[in-house]
Order: sequence, then C-alpha cells, then structure tokens
Amino acid sequence: MQFCNNRKRAKAMSEKNDSDISRIVFVGGGTAGWMAAAAFSKYFDNGRRSFTLIESDAIGTVGVGEATIPPIANFNHMLDISESEFLRATNGTFKLGIEFVDWGQIGDRYFHPFGEYGQDLHGIAFHQLYLREHARGATGKGKNQEKLGDIANYSMSSMAARHGKFGRAKPDAKSLIRQIGYAYHFDAGLYAKFLRQRAEKQGTKRCEGKIASAQRDPETGDIISVTLESGEVISGDLFVDCSGFRGLLIEDSLQTGYEDWSHWLPVDRAIALPCANPTDLDPYTRSTAHSAGWQWRIPLQHRTGNGHVFCSSYMEADEAEKILRENLEGEPVGEARHLRFLTGMRRKAWSQNVIALGLSSGFIEPLESTSIHLIQNGIARLFALFPDKQISSIERDEYNRGMRELFEDIRDFIILHYKATQRDDSEFWRYVRDMDIPETLHKKIELWRLHGRVFRENAELFTTPSWVAVMLGQNIWPRRHDPIADTLDEEKVALAMSQMREAYERTAEQMPTQIEFLKQSGSWASA
Amino acid sequence: MTKPSNISAEPVTKIVIVGGGTAGWMAAAALSKVLAGTPGLSINLVESDAIGTVGVGEATIPQISSFNGLLGIDEHDFVRQTHATYKLGIEFVDWTRVGHSYVHPFGSFGLDMLGVEFHHFWLRGKAEGHNSELSDYSIAAMAAKSGKFMHPEHGNPKSALSKLGYAFQFDAALYAKYLRKIAEGAGVKRTEGRVVSVEQHQETGFVTGVTLENGETIAGQLFIDCSGFRSLLLGQTLGVEFVDWTHLLPCDRAVAIPCSLVSETDPITRSTARPAGWQWRIPLQHRIGNGHVYSSAYMSEDEATSILLGNLDGEPLADPNHLRFAAGYRAKAWEKNVVGLGLAAGFLEPLESTAIHLVQAGIARLMTLFPTSSFSQVEIDQYNTENAQDYLDIRDFLLLHYIATERDDSDFWNTCRNLEPPEGLARKLAMFRSSGRIIREHNELFTEASWLAVMMGQGIEPGGWHPAVRALDTEETLKRLDHIRHVISNTASQMPTHAEFLKANRSAIDPS
Repeated sequence: MQFCNNRKRAKAMSEKNDSDISRIVFVGGGTAGWMAAAAFSKYFDNGRRSFTLIESDAIGTVGVGEATIPPIANFNHMLDISESEFLRATNGTFKLGIEFVDWGQIGDRYFHPFGEYGQDLHGIAFHQLYLREHARGATGKGKNQEKLGDIANYSMSSMAARHGKFGRAKPDAKSLIRQIGYAYHFDAGLYAKFLRQRAEKQGTKRCEGKIASAQRDPETGDIISVTLESGEVISGDLFVDCSGFRGLLIEDSLQTGYEDWSHWLPVDRAIALPCANPTDLDPYTRSTAHSAGWQWRIPLQHRTGNGHVFCSSYMEADEAEKILRENLEGEPVGEARHLRFLTGMRRKAWSQNVIALGLSSGFIEPLESTSIHLIQNGIARLFALFPDKQISSIERDEYNRGMRELFEDIRDFIILHYKATQRDDSEFWRYVRDMDIPETLHKKIELWRLHGRVFRENAELFTTPSWVAVMLGQNIWPRRHDPIADTLDEEKVALAMSQMREAYERTAEQMPTQIEFLKQSGSWASA
Repeated sequence: MTKPSNISAEPVTKIVIVGGGTAGWMAAAALSKVLAGTPGLSINLVESDAIGTVGVGEATIPQISSFNGLLGIDEHDFVRQTHATYKLGIEFVDWTRVGHSYVHPFGSFGLDMLGVEFHHFWLRGKAEGHNSELSDYSIAAMAAKSGKFMHPEHGNPKSALSKLGYAFQFDAALYAKYLRKIAEGAGVKRTEGRVVSVEQHQETGFVTGVTLENGETIAGQLFIDCSGFRSLLLGQTLGVEFVDWTHLLPCDRAVAIPCSLVSETDPITRSTARPAGWQWRIPLQHRIGNGHVYSSAYMSEDEATSILLGNLDGEPLADPNHLRFAAGYRAKAWEKNVVGLGLAAGFLEPLESTAIHLVQAGIARLMTLFPTSSFSQVEIDQYNTENAQDYLDIRDFLLLHYIATERDDSDFWNTCRNLEPPEGLARKLAMFRSSGRIIREHNELFTEASWLAVMMGQGIEPGGWHPAVRALDTEETLKRLDHIRHVISNTASQMPTHAEFLKANRSAIDPS
C-alpha cells in the first residue's frame, strides 16, 4: 500500500548506489517542512531518490514567524525564487529592522537596524567614533551634542525606516543606499504554500494523513517507517521531523530530551491576532514591551500581524489578550489564537536517522525573528553534512555541535534584551533584570562596558552593529570609548559625522515609500 | 544602567618596546602608525647591536600583505628593499614517504559547484578513474611548478587567477631595517643599549621601567616584550609560565646557513623531511636561505649540520648558525602591563611559515584591545584566550604533517607517526577520513584549502565524498574536471615568469 512512494523513480533504482540515502521523508508540512522539501528536492534529486512529505490538513501549523532576518534572501536565491514573485505570493513587505518600544525604560524607543552603522575612519569602527563624540558632548567639549543625536541617525536602514521608505542601490552605485540591510515580513502560511508548489513540481510527493505510529529497527534503533491513521505505511532512510513543538519522531519515538531555558527566557505563551492595516506600511517590525512580556507588530501587504508573548507565571491569558486588543492599530481580523511553548532546545537536533527542523528542534521566542533562520540554517547544515545510509556519528555530532552553537548564540542575544532593562514596574521585569545569565553573555556585556568593544566568537549570527544597537538602545553605555579612537582629530571626526548624518537623511528622503517601492517593483499582490 | 561617562581612565601614551628584530620593529611601525595623533605619545624601542636577532622566519603567509597595507607600504618597493621573492606555497618533499612530494599552495582549488566544495567532485572523479592530481586544480601550484607569477584578479571571479593567493620570502633583517625607517620616521625613538635590570611597582608588580648598562632608566606605562627566546619581561621578570609542547613537536634545534643562487629563483618554499626533522629552502633574490630543524633527542648537532651542508644548491655564504628552542607558548602573552610578541611569547617551528604572522596577529589584537592606564583584567583575559587559540590552531596544523606520515625509517618518524592527535585534530582527521569533509572552526588561520592540501598530500584517504555531487552524472563530472584543469593550466602558461614579473614591476634588486 505504498501510494505515497514514487513509482516513477523505481526504474532508476537499478543504478542506485546501495550506500545512498534513497528515501527522504518529511514529517509535517508548515514552514519548516516545505522549506526543507523545496530545498532537498531541488538539490538532492539524483534521479534515484524519493522525497515524501506527510502532513494533515486537520493539524494546524503555527507559523507565527512572519518576520525574518537578512539571510532569508540567500535561501530564496538558492531556490531561484524571484523576489517580486515571492512578495506577491506571500503578501510580503520589506523589513529594515526592529523598533523596540518601552524595553530599556517605559518611554524609550530604539531601532535595531539591519546593515552597518556609518563609515569607519582610519580603521576605527564607527560606533567608537560615535561613543567618543557622545563623551565629548557629555563633558561639554562638543558643540554638536544636540545634532549628534541617536546612533540611528547614522544607519541607512534606520533612517529609511524612520521615513517609512525603502530603496535599493544599483549594483555598481556608490550611493549610501548600499549600506541598507533588509529582510522580509510575510504570511508564513502563504510562504509554505508557495514552497509546496515548487517542491511538488520538483518531485516531492505530498501525503495527506495523520501519523499513528512510528516503527524502529530493533537493532539500530533507527526509524524505518511511519504508519498513518489510514493504515498506510511509509518507509524511509532519513526522516526530517518538522512536526512542531511535539517532536513526533525526535521526542515521542526517540526520546531525545529537551533542554529547558525558561529560567533565562521565562515567557511561555503567545496570543496572535491579525488586524486591518493603517494607510501606510512601516518597513519594520515593532516590539513593544508590556508588563509580563512584549507585543509584536508585523505589517504585511493585506493585514498587520500582532501577537503578545508573555509569561503565564506573571500574567493570566485573559489579561494578556485584553492588553493585545487594546494595543491593535486596526480592527481585529478573525479570532485570537493562543499558543503555549517552552523556550529551550532539543538535546540533539539530529538523533539516529531523524533530523528535527523548526519547532521540533527547539524554540527561542520570536523577539529577533530567528525562527525561520534556524530552519534555514539547519537545512544548509544538513546539506553540508548530508549522510550516507550508514550514518556516521562524526557527521551527526558535527551537525549537533553547530546547531547548538547557533541556538546558544541567539539565546544570549535575546537574553540581553531582558537583562539590560531598567524597568522596575512589575515582578516580571524585576526577575529578568536580576536573573543570572550565561557566562558567555556576561563576558560580552563586561567587555562592552569597559571600552565599547564587541567580540564575536565563531561565525556568530548577530553582527557587531546588532550588539551595538541593543546595548546602546537599552542604555548600557561603556565607561569609556576605545582609546585608539582618541588618535583621530576631534574636529575632523565631528565634521565627518555631520556629513554622514546629512547624507543619510537626504538619501532616505529621496527613497520611495514602502508601498511605492512594492508597486514599482511588481511586488504588490493585489495589482 | 551605567550613564555615558567621561574620560576618567587615562590613555596610555608611554610605550616601551624591549628588543628590535622583526617583532620589535613590526610593533614599533604599527603602533606609531595607528596611535599617531595621540597627544603626548612616546614610543621608545630599546635594542642592542651586540645582541644578534634570530630572524630565520623569512617565509610568510598571505596575511602579511594586510600588515604592510596598514603601514601604507608599496609592495614593489618592499620587495626590492628586502630582496624578496613571491611565494605561492610550500612544496613538501619526502614527508609522506621517501620519494613523495606534494604542494600546499595558497589560494583555493578548482571551482565550487552546486554549493558543494570542489574537492568532492574531484574525489568522485578520481574514484571513477579520472587521472589528475589535486594540485592540477590550484593556480598557485601550477604557476609555482613552472616558475610563474602574477597578481591575483579578485575582481574577476570568472578568471582562474581569482583563486590565486601569495605571500613573500624575504630577508628578515632587511625587513626589520625597512620597518625601522618607517617607525623612526613616525617618531619612534630608538635607544641603543642592553637592559640590565627591570623596575617594578612595589605593590602591583607592574613594570615601571627598564635600566640599561649605562645606568639610564627608560620608564613607560606599557611594555612590549620583543626580547626573543629570553622573554626578559614576560618570562624572567613576571614569571609567566611557558607551556611546553615538546612532547607533541619534538624538534628543538635548528642549524641555518645561506647559500648562493645557482639558477632563477622559484616562487615557492621547499621543506624536505630528514631522518630526525626537516630542511627548509627559501629562495630570495640574492641568495637561498637554508636550515635544518631537528630533534636533539634523535640526532647530534654534527650530523644535522653535515646533512644540511650536503644538501645545499650553491656555495655556503656564511658559517652555520645554531639555534635552540622548545615548541610552546607563554600561558599569558599579556600579563600586567607587559605584552609579549614574537619569540618572547612562544615558538612554533617554521614549517608553515607562521612566525611573522603570530607577531602580526598579536599586534592587531593589541590594537583591538588597546588598554587605558587602568588595564582591565577582562580585556587582558580576552587577549590571552584568543592568543592561546591561535597557537593551538597552528600547533594542530603542524602536527598533522608529522602524524599523517607513512615513514618508518627512523625512530623519530616512528615516534611522530604514533603520536596521539589532540581532540580538535582528531575530530578533523576522523571527519575527513569518513567523508572527505573538512571542518574549520572559529575563523582559524588555515583555510579548508590548506587542510585539504596537507591531508591529501600526507596520504590520508577520504572514505567518501559529498552525496550531492551525484546530481552530476559521471560523464558531466569528468567533463567539468577536464575543463577546469585545462583552464588553470592554460592560465598558468600565460603568466610571466617570476623573474619577468619582478623586472616588469621594478622590484628586482640591482644585480651588481
């Protein structure tokens, strides 16, 4: 009864290499499942390999991860997806960064932009010049203090966001627009649908049904097949578990275990509720801190995604929903959806012949829009370490080591937002402000406090400007700037900075608005 | 949290560099350039003409160009003044087994396809009977083989020349002299004299000054120890522990001698394995540098010297120079207000020409973590952690050459071959053996291409290759391999010779 297996390929099996993985099974659709299926059926189709994705229309997908970070463009590029087609298909918009409201203190606002800050002078990082000018101002030596302003004045993405604009440089242009960094907001459900079309065209077989049980090889412990409620059995060599929080194979079958990070990231609930759009579309995500968590606002072409992430030990769901509804900028669309989660990660993302992708591999709250990136990175890593049928533990260990590193890097960056608060208005904020943090983050903050230096280890996801944005945005000012910055002439630096400021401002003003840009580039869905 | 503050901590403006030589003058030139404009800056370098410098590190790796670039050095002028040649890699002779040789070239191999590194396609092609060497796919190796050189074309990714990497081979003493001119021009004060005592603060133990034979004391806030193996401040004064790696890298002696040139110089360093070590050959414009690195536990000085003298291309130009060392590093390259650079901070044999790079990396790190008068321990710790990692990474790469050998013709090689690889290296070896994959961690110095060249060169057999390469069928794979090989060999044949390149850029020295 192998309806879901790909008969077309059976012929080619004769030349098949016995050591090859020939049947890949994706358990679960949703963003993770279809991203993986689209990528693997494109790049790993050697004519002898079958790709099967099992999903049930009866099981909803979570897909709250509607905001992304810039590497998503690489993923789409790898799949030869045209940007305008993708934006049309997913009601997507451009994202220049995240605005954080009420995080450091109530009333504070800062922008975490994509892309770089300013221009380095004589090899000295721009943020050091900024810190130095700031210090000069504080001691009364600088004349330009009011003009110096927020560090956002020196970021192309921040300035464009402030004006609601978006633009892109021509490849050979010398314009400051080149410094713009961007990602997208999109409807994750539509993205999955869009990728499904591609994956199916590339030969992925979709199988409708709920999984009732999984069978393991008594000797090796590997998963050999899954059985659907209909009784149909689907066998495979490699299983990609995209079943969401539940971890159908990675946890229910293999009992891999979960590392709980809720002592550092205590939020455990979310309520999502889209609303109608205002007239303009801001090209950025907004995160507003509330008394026991925070609220996201993600503008899409046809509606605005909203959600309230909170900690159930400090707030009831009713109150959380009330706060969410009070803070919508348009009429609610549909019902509020309640989600539960536990921050942390699966002890091993890859165990036996099962690779967990997406929520089954762990969950870090969407504060910095990293969920889809974790899927994308897992796919790229699995791509690089794709096994033979006889899976080598060396490769599996390397995958797990790399994924852990990425999870921990992101975890530390998210914790920073909570730890570096001065809010004193609720139990929740007092807890996170006073909690112990991982040693790795502690060291980063210490080094920053001394001379504003940022040390990135390994191939850390978040770049120096990201750390600078959040540290300064949450009011952690270094005791002193880098002494090397003192080697530059004060007046020259002040002049260069005022020129930068004016140039960013002027360039941003000349850009089209987000809606104009989407329409001009053929990316508007309801054209 | 902390409010934006003020400039409470005083900047460090009085810097004393103890020792000239390559490390000392590199530090002087770089610090005077980067710190120029600091009010009240004084950089003082103390050296004694009576103390010789070691300066065997005449071969470099590509990163040297960014150091020279920082100093605004014109490459052709530098090549001429230091009698330098270009270096495209290292040829390893007799390392895997007697009679065998391979090249570790700079730059990268072939062309990555379908998002998969090139060498996986090559490994598969080889398994399907394609007859080619890894070095056929390196533009640097192919150019070196025929004595060719020209600059890479990074801006043109379609050209085979975009994959070329290069460094230099130069006279280290002339380089020090060259940098001295730059440093003195930028205000560095040189003081001639031998340090006889070191003054320390009674409570903190910080170094406050060094006193010379003539009684003069040179005071400072930050001391850079470039005193060589002696490690005068870091080791002797502050007692920083030396971590000894002789059990892993047993070579502890070298005997060096230059000889005359007999033919045109090749743009490559050669390393030939000997029964208890190896011999370097570094061609410069005016002579060839030679040396024999060996383990005194397995060979006498006389025997090592006679092997060296018996394996020179030309006439010896000096008396043999004998050196003693131990592989290892100072557990803290930065302690209190003393930063050690060069041999004062550690030593790894010159097998992969990393000595000058370690100096350069130390200087860059000091710039990044440049202290204020309050010398924060968090930053010092960061420096030491990163520095230790550099030494460890290079050590493992060197060890690979010794461990992955088939040689069983001497006690020395039998010991090396049976060494237990440290954890990181063991993991890399296991991964490559299992599937031909290369793990590169934390931006380590040596690239995937370097690990590949040496692992393949030393005869490690990968057990497989990336499954995604099967997306190309056999015929297409072989066709592409042929094509890439052809483009590279064609490009190499059209390059000027090394001598022509020097002449055309007026970087050749006056033959008189």
